[in-house]
Amino acid sequence: MNTANSIVILIPAKNEEDSIAQVLGDLKARFPYPIVVINDASTDNTVAIAQQAGARVLTLSISLGAWGAIQTGLRYALREGFEIAITMDADGQHEADSLPALLAPIMTRKADVTIGAFTQRGSFARHVAWSLFRKLSGLNLEDLTSGLRAYTSPAIRLLASPAATLLDYQDMGVLMLLQRAQLRIQEVPISMRPRLLGKSRIFSSWWAVSNYMLYTAILCLAHGTHYFRKHKCPIKSPQPF
Amino acid sequence: MSYQITSAILGISLALIILLLIRRDRLHSRHAIWWLFVAVFVMILGIFPKIIDYIALKLGVNYPPTLLFSLGMAMILLKVLSIDLHQSQLERKTRRLAQRLALLEGDKQQHDD
Repeated sequence: MNTANSIVILIPAKNEEDSIAQVLGDLKARFPYPIVVINDASTDNTVAIAQQAGARVLTLSISLGAWGAIQTGLRYALREGFEIAITMDADGQHEADSLPALLAPIMTRKADVTIGAFTQRGSFARHVAWSLFRKLSGLNLEDLTSGLRAYTSPAIRLLASPAATLLDYQDMGVLMLLQRAQLRIQEVPISMRPRLLGKSRIFSSWWAVSNYMLYTAILCLAHGTHYFRKHKCPIKSPQPF
Repeated sequence: MSYQITSAILGISLALIILLLIRRDRLHSRHAIWWLFVAVFVMILGIFPKIIDYIALKLGVNYPPTLLFSLGMAMILLKVLSIDLHQSQLERKTRRLAQRLALLEGDKQQHDD
Protein backbone atom coordinates (compact mmCIF):
# COMPACT_ATOMS: atom_id res chain seq x y z
CA MET A 1 0.00 0.00 0.00
CA ASN A 2 1.51 3.25 -1.13
CA THR A 3 0.57 5.31 1.88
CA ALA A 4 1.27 8.93 1.02
CA ASN A 5 -0.78 8.97 -2.18
CA SER A 6 -3.57 6.70 -1.11
CA ILE A 7 -4.69 8.45 2.08
CA VAL A 8 -6.93 11.48 2.26
CA ILE A 9 -8.12 13.35 5.35
CA LEU A 10 -11.72 14.53 5.27
CA ILE A 11 -12.89 17.27 7.61
CA PRO A 12 -16.51 18.39 7.59
CA ALA A 13 -16.80 21.97 8.80
CA LYS A 14 -19.69 24.28 9.45
CA ASN A 15 -18.77 27.68 10.83
CA GLU A 16 -15.51 26.53 12.41
CA GLU A 17 -13.36 29.59 11.75
CA ASP A 18 -12.13 29.62 15.35
CA SER A 19 -10.64 26.15 15.36
CA ILE A 20 -10.02 25.02 11.79
CA ALA A 21 -6.67 26.76 11.32
CA GLN A 22 -5.16 24.97 14.31
CA VAL A 23 -6.61 21.61 13.28
CA LEU A 24 -5.22 21.92 9.75
CA GLY A 25 -1.90 23.31 11.01
CA ASP A 26 -1.38 20.33 13.34
CA LEU A 27 -2.14 17.89 10.51
CA LYS A 28 0.04 19.63 7.93
CA ALA A 29 2.94 19.74 10.36
CA ARG A 30 2.87 15.98 10.89
CA PHE A 31 1.50 14.32 7.74
CA PRO A 32 1.91 14.64 3.97
CA TYR A 33 -1.65 13.48 3.28
CA PRO A 34 -3.95 15.74 1.26
CA ILE A 35 -6.68 17.35 3.32
CA VAL A 36 -10.18 18.04 2.06
CA VAL A 37 -12.41 20.34 4.07
CA ILE A 38 -16.07 19.93 3.23
CA ASN A 39 -17.70 23.24 3.94
CA ASP A 40 -21.27 22.56 5.00
CA ALA A 41 -22.69 25.91 3.89
CA SER A 42 -20.71 27.95 6.42
CA THR A 43 -21.58 31.60 6.79
CA ASP A 44 -18.28 32.65 8.37
CA ASN A 45 -14.67 32.72 7.25
CA THR A 46 -14.08 28.95 7.35
CA VAL A 47 -13.46 28.58 3.61
CA ALA A 48 -10.79 31.27 3.32
CA ILE A 49 -8.96 30.06 6.43
CA ALA A 50 -9.00 26.45 5.27
CA GLN A 51 -7.74 27.34 1.81
CA GLN A 52 -5.00 29.46 3.30
CA ALA A 53 -3.96 26.54 5.47
CA GLY A 54 -3.49 24.47 2.31
CA ALA A 55 -6.63 22.35 2.32
CA ARG A 56 -8.78 21.57 -0.67
CA VAL A 57 -12.25 22.96 0.04
CA LEU A 58 -15.48 21.49 -1.28
CA THR A 59 -18.43 23.76 -0.64
CA LEU A 60 -21.97 22.45 -0.26
CA SER A 61 -24.47 25.00 -1.51
CA ILE A 62 -27.10 23.79 0.95
CA SER A 63 -26.34 22.49 4.42
CA LEU A 64 -26.56 18.70 4.49
CA GLY A 65 -25.45 18.17 8.08
CA ALA A 66 -22.31 16.44 9.30
CA TRP A 67 -22.91 13.14 7.55
CA GLY A 68 -23.96 14.74 4.26
CA ALA A 69 -20.68 16.63 4.31
CA ILE A 70 -18.62 13.54 5.13
CA GLN A 71 -20.34 11.60 2.36
CA THR A 72 -19.39 14.36 -0.05
CA GLY A 73 -15.79 13.78 1.02
CA LEU A 74 -16.15 10.02 0.63
CA ARG A 75 -17.54 10.46 -2.88
CA TYR A 76 -14.54 12.63 -3.61
CA ALA A 77 -12.20 9.97 -2.19
CA LEU A 78 -13.91 7.29 -4.29
CA ARG A 79 -13.70 9.35 -7.46
CA GLU A 80 -10.06 10.23 -6.91
CA GLY A 81 -9.19 6.63 -6.12
CA PHE A 82 -7.96 7.08 -2.55
CA GLU A 83 -7.66 3.79 -0.72
CA ILE A 84 -8.05 5.14 2.78
CA ALA A 85 -10.16 8.04 4.00
CA ILE A 86 -9.75 9.46 7.47
CA THR A 87 -12.56 11.58 8.90
CA MET A 88 -11.95 14.10 11.66
CA ASP A 89 -13.95 16.80 13.40
CA ALA A 90 -13.08 20.42 12.70
CA ASP A 91 -13.60 21.57 16.28
CA GLY A 92 -10.21 20.43 17.54
CA GLN A 93 -11.47 17.48 19.57
CA HIS A 94 -9.36 14.99 17.70
CA GLU A 95 -5.59 15.10 17.93
CA ALA A 96 -3.35 14.68 14.91
CA ASP A 97 -1.24 12.42 17.11
CA SER A 98 -4.01 9.81 17.08
CA LEU A 99 -3.72 9.09 13.35
CA PRO A 100 -0.85 6.57 13.42
CA ALA A 101 -2.71 4.46 15.98
CA LEU A 102 -5.89 4.78 13.93
CA LEU A 103 -4.13 3.62 10.77
CA ALA A 104 -2.17 0.76 12.33
CA PRO A 105 -4.86 -1.97 12.12
CA ILE A 106 -5.62 -0.90 8.55
CA MET A 107 -1.99 -1.06 7.43
CA THR A 108 -1.72 -4.59 8.78
CA ARG A 109 -5.05 -5.41 7.08
CA LYS A 110 -6.64 -6.43 10.34
CA ALA A 111 -9.59 -4.08 9.89
CA ASP A 112 -11.63 -2.42 7.14
CA VAL A 113 -12.74 0.43 9.36
CA THR A 114 -11.14 1.84 12.49
CA ILE A 115 -12.71 4.12 15.04
CA GLY A 116 -10.84 6.38 17.42
CA ALA A 117 -12.67 5.54 20.62
CA PHE A 118 -12.69 7.67 23.70
CA THR A 119 -15.16 6.17 26.10
CA GLN A 120 -14.41 8.12 29.25
CA ARG A 121 -16.35 11.07 27.96
CA GLY A 122 -20.06 11.48 28.35
CA SER A 123 -22.40 11.58 31.29
CA PHE A 124 -23.94 8.60 33.03
CA ALA A 125 -27.17 9.15 31.09
CA ARG A 126 -25.30 9.07 27.82
CA HIS A 127 -23.69 5.75 28.73
CA VAL A 128 -27.08 4.29 29.60
CA ALA A 129 -28.41 5.45 26.23
CA TRP A 130 -25.45 3.96 24.42
CA SER A 131 -25.74 0.56 26.06
CA LEU A 132 -29.41 0.53 25.10
CA PHE A 133 -28.56 1.32 21.50
CA ARG A 134 -25.84 -1.32 21.53
CA LYS A 135 -28.50 -3.89 22.49
CA LEU A 136 -30.96 -2.63 19.90
CA SER A 137 -28.50 -2.54 17.06
CA GLY A 138 -26.38 -5.58 17.83
CA LEU A 139 -23.24 -3.48 17.49
CA ASN A 140 -20.45 -4.54 19.76
CA LEU A 141 -18.57 -1.26 19.97
CA GLU A 142 -17.74 1.08 22.82
CA ASP A 143 -17.76 4.49 21.15
CA LEU A 144 -20.71 4.73 18.80
CA THR A 145 -20.49 8.41 17.99
CA SER A 146 -16.80 9.10 17.47
CA GLY A 147 -16.13 11.15 14.34
CA LEU A 148 -12.50 10.10 14.14
CA ARG A 149 -12.51 7.16 11.79
CA ALA A 150 -10.53 5.58 8.98
CA TYR A 151 -12.28 3.82 6.11
CA THR A 152 -10.75 1.52 3.49
CA SER A 153 -11.95 1.16 -0.13
CA PRO A 154 -14.82 -1.28 0.40
CA ALA A 155 -16.18 0.90 3.20
CA ILE A 156 -15.72 4.07 1.15
CA ARG A 157 -17.58 2.49 -1.76
CA LEU A 158 -20.47 1.40 0.46
CA LEU A 159 -20.75 4.70 2.31
CA ALA A 160 -20.53 6.82 -0.85
CA SER A 161 -23.51 4.96 -2.31
CA PRO A 162 -27.11 6.24 -2.32
CA ALA A 163 -27.94 3.65 0.36
CA ALA A 164 -26.11 5.83 2.89
CA THR A 165 -27.43 9.17 1.68
CA LEU A 166 -30.49 9.45 3.90
CA LEU A 167 -28.48 9.09 7.11
CA ASP A 168 -28.03 12.22 9.18
CA TYR A 169 -25.10 11.50 11.49
CA GLN A 170 -21.86 9.61 11.17
CA ASP A 171 -22.72 7.24 13.96
CA MET A 172 -24.90 4.20 14.36
CA GLY A 173 -26.61 4.24 10.98
CA VAL A 174 -23.21 4.20 9.31
CA LEU A 175 -21.89 1.50 11.64
CA MET A 176 -24.90 -0.70 11.04
CA LEU A 177 -24.49 -0.41 7.28
CA LEU A 178 -20.86 -1.41 7.63
CA GLN A 179 -21.69 -4.31 9.89
CA ARG A 180 -24.38 -5.61 7.55
CA ALA A 181 -21.84 -5.57 4.75
CA GLN A 182 -19.67 -7.69 7.06
CA LEU A 183 -16.80 -5.24 7.11
CA ARG A 184 -14.41 -5.55 10.03
CA ILE A 185 -14.68 -2.63 12.41
CA GLN A 186 -12.01 -2.13 15.04
CA GLU A 187 -11.81 0.42 17.80
CA VAL A 188 -8.57 2.07 18.74
CA PRO A 189 -8.37 3.78 22.12
CA ILE A 190 -7.35 7.41 21.79
CA SER A 191 -7.41 10.52 23.93
CA MET A 192 -9.50 13.51 23.04
CA ARG A 193 -9.17 17.16 23.84
CA PRO A 194 -12.17 19.07 25.00
CA ARG A 195 -13.65 20.92 22.06
CA LEU A 196 -11.71 24.10 21.47
CA LEU A 197 -14.88 26.09 21.25
CA GLY A 198 -18.54 25.44 20.89
CA LYS A 199 -20.32 22.33 21.99
CA SER A 200 -21.86 19.16 20.68
CA ARG A 201 -24.60 19.85 18.17
CA ILE A 202 -26.37 16.62 19.00
CA PHE A 203 -26.39 17.08 22.76
CA SER A 204 -27.26 20.76 22.77
CA SER A 205 -30.67 20.64 24.42
CA TRP A 206 -33.14 18.15 25.83
CA TRP A 207 -35.34 18.56 22.79
CA ALA A 208 -32.41 17.82 20.49
CA VAL A 209 -31.43 14.83 22.62
CA SER A 210 -34.88 13.27 22.51
CA ASN A 211 -35.06 13.86 18.78
CA TYR A 212 -31.72 12.18 18.34
CA MET A 213 -32.67 9.24 20.56
CA LEU A 214 -35.87 8.62 18.63
CA TYR A 215 -34.05 8.93 15.32
CA THR A 216 -31.43 6.43 16.43
CA ALA A 217 -34.01 3.98 17.77
CA ILE A 218 -35.76 4.03 14.39
CA LEU A 219 -32.44 3.52 12.63
CA CYS A 220 -31.82 0.47 14.79
CA LEU A 221 -35.19 -0.91 13.74
CA ALA A 222 -34.42 -0.28 10.09
CA HIS A 223 -30.81 -1.38 9.91
CA GLY A 224 -29.99 -3.32 13.06
CA THR A 225 -28.72 -6.83 12.67
CA HIS A 226 -29.57 -8.00 16.14
CA TYR A 227 -33.05 -9.34 15.43
CA PHE A 228 -32.69 -9.88 11.72
CA ARG A 229 -29.36 -11.57 11.35
CA LYS A 230 -30.45 -13.47 8.27
CA HIS A 231 -30.70 -10.35 6.15
CA LYS A 232 -27.37 -9.52 4.68
CA CYS A 233 -26.58 -6.54 2.59
CA PRO A 234 -23.82 -7.33 0.13
CA ILE A 235 -21.72 -4.49 -1.17
CA LYS A 236 -23.20 -3.66 -4.52
CA SER A 237 -21.07 -2.32 -7.28
CA PRO A 238 -21.15 1.42 -6.95
CA GLN A 239 -23.02 3.84 -9.14
CA PRO A 240 -21.76 6.94 -7.44
CA PHE A 241 -22.23 9.45 -10.20
CA MET B 1 -84.57 15.26 -3.18
CA SER B 2 -82.85 18.36 -1.86
CA TYR B 3 -79.90 16.56 -0.22
CA GLN B 4 -79.09 14.99 -3.56
CA ILE B 5 -78.87 18.45 -5.14
CA THR B 6 -76.55 19.62 -2.37
CA SER B 7 -74.24 16.63 -2.72
CA ALA B 8 -74.32 16.91 -6.52
CA ILE B 9 -73.32 20.58 -6.35
CA LEU B 10 -70.48 19.80 -3.90
CA GLY B 11 -69.27 16.83 -5.93
CA ILE B 12 -69.38 18.59 -9.27
CA SER B 13 -67.70 21.76 -8.02
CA LEU B 14 -64.87 19.82 -6.37
CA ALA B 15 -64.41 17.86 -9.60
CA LEU B 16 -64.41 21.11 -11.60
CA ILE B 17 -61.76 22.67 -9.36
CA ILE B 18 -59.54 19.60 -9.80
CA LEU B 19 -60.07 19.55 -13.56
CA LEU B 20 -59.31 23.27 -13.74
CA LEU B 21 -56.04 22.77 -11.82
CA ILE B 22 -55.05 19.94 -14.15
CA ARG B 23 -55.94 22.07 -17.19
CA ARG B 24 -53.78 24.89 -15.88
CA ASP B 25 -50.85 22.51 -15.51
CA ARG B 26 -50.60 23.05 -11.74
CA LEU B 27 -50.36 19.32 -11.04
CA HIS B 28 -47.58 17.09 -12.26
CA SER B 29 -49.11 14.36 -14.44
CA ARG B 30 -48.38 11.57 -11.95
CA HIS B 31 -50.42 13.43 -9.34
CA ALA B 32 -53.00 14.52 -11.89
CA ILE B 33 -53.99 10.90 -12.58
CA TRP B 34 -54.81 10.33 -8.91
CA TRP B 35 -56.78 13.57 -8.70
CA LEU B 36 -58.62 12.89 -11.95
CA PHE B 37 -59.74 9.62 -10.42
CA VAL B 38 -60.83 11.47 -7.26
CA ALA B 39 -62.75 14.03 -9.35
CA VAL B 40 -64.71 11.34 -11.20
CA PHE B 41 -65.38 9.44 -7.97
CA VAL B 42 -66.58 12.53 -6.12
CA MET B 43 -68.80 13.59 -9.00
CA ILE B 44 -70.49 10.20 -9.33
CA LEU B 45 -71.04 9.90 -5.58
CA GLY B 46 -72.28 13.49 -5.43
CA ILE B 47 -74.90 12.95 -8.12
CA PHE B 48 -75.88 9.45 -6.99
CA PRO B 49 -75.31 9.32 -3.22
CA LYS B 50 -77.53 6.24 -3.06
CA ILE B 51 -74.62 4.21 -4.42
CA ILE B 52 -73.04 4.28 -0.95
CA ASP B 53 -76.22 2.97 0.65
CA TYR B 54 -76.37 0.17 -1.90
CA ILE B 55 -72.74 -0.87 -1.43
CA ALA B 56 -73.05 -0.62 2.37
CA LEU B 57 -76.06 -2.91 2.29
CA LYS B 58 -74.18 -5.44 0.17
CA LEU B 59 -71.17 -5.34 2.52
CA GLY B 60 -73.35 -5.67 5.60
CA VAL B 61 -72.53 -2.20 6.96
CA ASN B 62 -75.46 -1.01 9.09
CA TYR B 63 -74.81 2.70 8.90
CA PRO B 64 -73.73 3.63 5.33
CA PRO B 65 -71.94 6.92 6.17
CA THR B 66 -69.35 5.00 8.23
CA LEU B 67 -68.44 3.11 5.07
CA LEU B 68 -67.91 6.41 3.26
CA PHE B 69 -65.80 7.81 6.10
CA SER B 70 -63.62 4.76 6.60
CA LEU B 71 -63.00 4.36 2.86
CA GLY B 72 -62.22 8.08 2.58
CA MET B 73 -59.87 7.92 5.56
CA ALA B 74 -58.10 4.87 4.13
CA MET B 75 -57.56 6.65 0.81
CA ILE B 76 -56.19 9.74 2.58
CA LEU B 77 -53.78 7.62 4.64
CA LEU B 78 -52.51 5.85 1.53
CA LYS B 79 -52.07 9.15 -0.24
CA VAL B 80 -50.14 10.71 2.66
CA LEU B 81 -47.92 7.65 2.90
CA SER B 82 -47.13 7.84 -0.79
CA ILE B 83 -46.32 11.54 -0.40
CA ASP B 84 -43.79 10.75 2.35
CA LEU B 85 -42.23 7.99 0.27
CA HIS B 86 -41.88 10.35 -2.64
CA GLN B 87 -40.57 13.07 -0.34
CA SER B 88 -37.82 10.75 0.97
CA GLN B 89 -36.86 9.89 -2.60
CA LEU B 90 -36.60 13.59 -3.41
CA GLU B 91 -34.52 14.22 -0.28
CA ARG B 92 -32.05 11.54 -1.35
CA LYS B 93 -31.83 13.03 -4.83
CA THR B 94 -31.42 16.59 -3.55
CA ARG B 95 -28.61 15.57 -1.21
CA ARG B 96 -26.73 13.71 -3.90
CA LEU B 97 -27.16 16.60 -6.31
CA ALA B 98 -25.77 19.05 -3.77
CA GLN B 99 -22.81 16.73 -3.15
CA ARG B 100 -22.14 16.36 -6.83
CA LEU B 101 -22.35 20.10 -7.31
CA ALA B 102 -19.80 20.58 -4.52
CA LEU B 103 -17.43 18.14 -6.27
CA LEU B 104 -17.86 19.84 -9.65
CA GLU B 105 -17.41 23.32 -8.21
CA GLY B 106 -14.30 22.08 -6.45
CA ASP B 107 -12.94 20.85 -9.80
CA LYS B 108 -13.69 24.15 -11.43
CA GLN B 109 -11.92 26.06 -8.71
CA GLN B 110 -8.91 23.77 -8.93
CA HIS B 111 -8.90 24.39 -12.66
CA ASP B 112 -9.10 28.17 -12.27
CA ASP B 113 -6.25 28.35 -9.76
